[in-house]
Amino acid sequence: MTRELDGTRLVTPAMIAVVVILATVPFWIQAIGLYQYLAVEILIWAIYAFAFNLLLGTGGLPSFGHGAFFGIGAYACGLAQMHLGAGLWLSLIAALLAATLAGAFVSAFVARRRGIYFALMTIAFGQIFWFIAMKARDITGGEDGLLPIARPPVGIGGTGIDITGNVAFYYFVLVIFALVLVLFWRLTHSPFGRVLAAIRQSETRAGHLGYSVLAFKMAAFTLSAAISGMAGGLFAMAQASAFPDVMSLHFSGYIVMMVLVGGGFASFWGPLVGVLVFFVARDVLGAFTSTWMLWFGLLFVTVILFKPEGIAGLAQDVAKRLRKGDRENERPVAATAVDAGS
Amino acid sequence: MTLVPFVIDGLTLGLLFALIALGFMLIVGVMEQINLAHGSLFALGAYLAMVLLGPNPPLPAALAEPWLALSLPVRYVATLIIAPALVGLFSIVIELAMRRTYGKDPLFGLLLTFGAALVIEDSIRAIWGTRDYALTTPDAMSGGFIALGLIWSTYRFYAAGMALLIIVLTWLLIEKTRFGAIIKAGAHDSEMVRALGYDLSKLRIAVFALGTALAAVAGIVMAPLWGIRPHMGVDAVVPAFLIIVLGGVGSFWGAVVAGLMVGLVVGLTSAFASAWALLSMYILLIVVVSIRARGLFGKKSVLEA
Repeated sequence: MTRELDGTRLVTPAMIAVVVILATVPFWIQAIGLYQYLAVEILIWAIYAFAFNLLLGTGGLPSFGHGAFFGIGAYACGLAQMHLGAGLWLSLIAALLAATLAGAFVSAFVARRRGIYFALMTIAFGQIFWFIAMKARDITGGEDGLLPIARPPVGIGGTGIDITGNVAFYYFVLVIFALVLVLFWRLTHSPFGRVLAAIRQSETRAGHLGYSVLAFKMAAFTLSAAISGMAGGLFAMAQASAFPDVMSLHFSGYIVMMVLVGGGFASFWGPLVGVLVFFVARDVLGAFTSTWMLWFGLLFVTVILFKPEGIAGLAQDVAKRLRKGDRENERPVAATAVDAGS
Repeated sequence: MTLVPFVIDGLTLGLLFALIALGFMLIVGVMEQINLAHGSLFALGAYLAMVLLGPNPPLPAALAEPWLALSLPVRYVATLIIAPALVGLFSIVIELAMRRTYGKDPLFGLLLTFGAALVIEDSIRAIWGTRDYALTTPDAMSGGFIALGLIWSTYRFYAAGMALLIIVLTWLLIEKTRFGAIIKAGAHDSEMVRALGYDLSKLRIAVFALGTALAAVAGIVMAPLWGIRPHMGVDAVVPAFLIIVLGGVGSFWGAVVAGLMVGLVVGLTSAFASAWALLSMYILLIVVVSIRARGLFGKKSVLEA
C-alpha cells in the first residue's frame, strides 16, 4: 500500500496505531514518573496544534495570535455553563461557535494579508482579545480567571458517564482527538487542502488558476479558529477554570514553537510530536530549573537554524537513509507537503 | 474638564513610543527583518543600566572605585552610552545566527528572534529574578513642577526631550552621513552596494547593532516610568511593531508620526476610559490598515511576499 492511497482514506493504519498507543497511556504514564493530567493536557493541546497547523503547515499562514481563539473557546465554555446551565455538549458547542464567530470576524481583516503582515495583524487581534479578557473583569474575572468550570457527564440530559476523573476525561478527549485527526487528514488531502497548499506556494498562481484566494484563506482561518476554540473549551474543563494567559503573545508564540519543533512543515504528525516534546520538556526540565523556557527557546532556535522541518523532518531523513537500499523509487513523505525553506 | 493635559501627556507618550519603535524600524527598513527580540533587548538595556547605576556595579575593584567616585549625573550619561553599546555588541550574535535565514521566507527571521526573545527574557529571570527594580536617576530629573494649575512630572518631560533628541540624531545619521547613504543604498540595491566594494555583511552587523542599541537606550529612558521587570520587553515590542505597521514599513517619518498618533490616541482615551487606554492603539491600527493596507507612509516591501 502506498502513501498516495493513504490520502484518499478516511482512517489510515498510522492513525489507528497512534490512537491505540494513546489509549494505553493511562496504564503506564505514572510508571514513568509522569501523571494522568499531563496526558490530558497533551491531547488537548495536540487538537489545538493540528488546528493551528492547517494554517501554518498547509496554508503557510503564520498566525501569531491564535491563542485568542483557544482562550475565547475556554471562556465561552465556562460562560455557557454559568449563565445557560449548559451541559457537556452545549458548552463545547458554545466554545466552537464563539471561536468560529471570532475567527470569521478576524479573517475578514487578515485574509487579504500575506507573510509578515499577516503575522503582525494576527498579533494585533490576539492582543485585542487578550486585553479584553484581562479588562472585562465582570465577564471574564480578569486576571483572577473564570471559575469553577465543571466537567459535566457524557450523555444526553444531564445523566451519563462521569468524566470528572482525569482518566475518564482523558478517554473522552481521546475520542474527540480521533475525530479531529480524521477531519484534518481528510481536509489536507481534499481539494480544499490542495488549494490551500497551492496558496502557500504562490497566491498569485492560485488566483490565476481561478480559485478565490480570499475565500479559501478566510475559510481555513475560520475553521482553524473554530477547532482551536473547541480545544480551548476542553482545556477550560480540564483545568476547571479559564485564564487570560493562554491568549497572551507568549502562549500564541508557544503554539507556533510546538508545531515547528515537531515538524508541522514536513509531516501531518508534526503537531502531535511538537506538543509531546513541549509538555514533557516543560515537566522534565521544569523539575530542574525554573527557567526551562531558556532551554526550550535554545532548542527552538536550533531547529529554526538547522532543521526547519523539525523533529518529524529529521525522522524522515533518517528513515529515508535507512530504506534507501531496497526502495529507490519511493517518494519522500514531504514531497507533497512542503519545502519549508521556500 | 480640559483636554490639554491629556493632549500633552499623549504627545510625550507618543515621542516615547516613537523612540521605542526607532531601532525596530531601522532594522525592518534596512534589513527587512522583523526583530521580535527588540523588547527583550530593550529590557536588557534597562537591567544593565540598573546594575551600572546601582551601589554594587559588577566591576573589578580597580574600576569600581573610580566609577563610584564619579557624580551621579556623569555616571548616568556614561551609562546611557555604555549599556546600549554592550547590548549592541551582544546582538551581533543574533545577527550572525540570523544570516542562515536570509533569502528564506522572512517568517524564519521572525521565528528566530521570537526564540531569542524567550531565551533573553528567561536569562533575565535567571539572573535578576522576577522582582521589580527601580533605576537610580540624577536628582534634577525627578520630582515635579506646577504649570497651568496642574502638577507635572519632570522626568516625563526629560524623557520626551531625550526621545526627540535621539530621533533627530538618528535621522541625521541616516539622511546626512555617508554611513546612512550606504545603508539606505544597501536596502535598495544590495548587489550594487556590493559591487561598489562595500562589505555588506559588516553593514548588516552595524545596522543590527545600532538598531538594538537604540532599543537599549529606549529601555533606559522608559525604566523610571515603567519600572524594571522581566515583562517590560513584551510591553515594548508590541507597541513597537504596531507603530511600524501603522506608519508603514521602511518609513522613518511614518514611524514617528505613528508613534505620536498612538500616544495621542492613548492619551485621549485615558481621559474618558483609563482602563481601556491601551486597547485604543490596536483599534487605531485595524482602522488604518483596513483603509491603507501598507500603513500611513508604507512602500511595497519584500515582507509582503
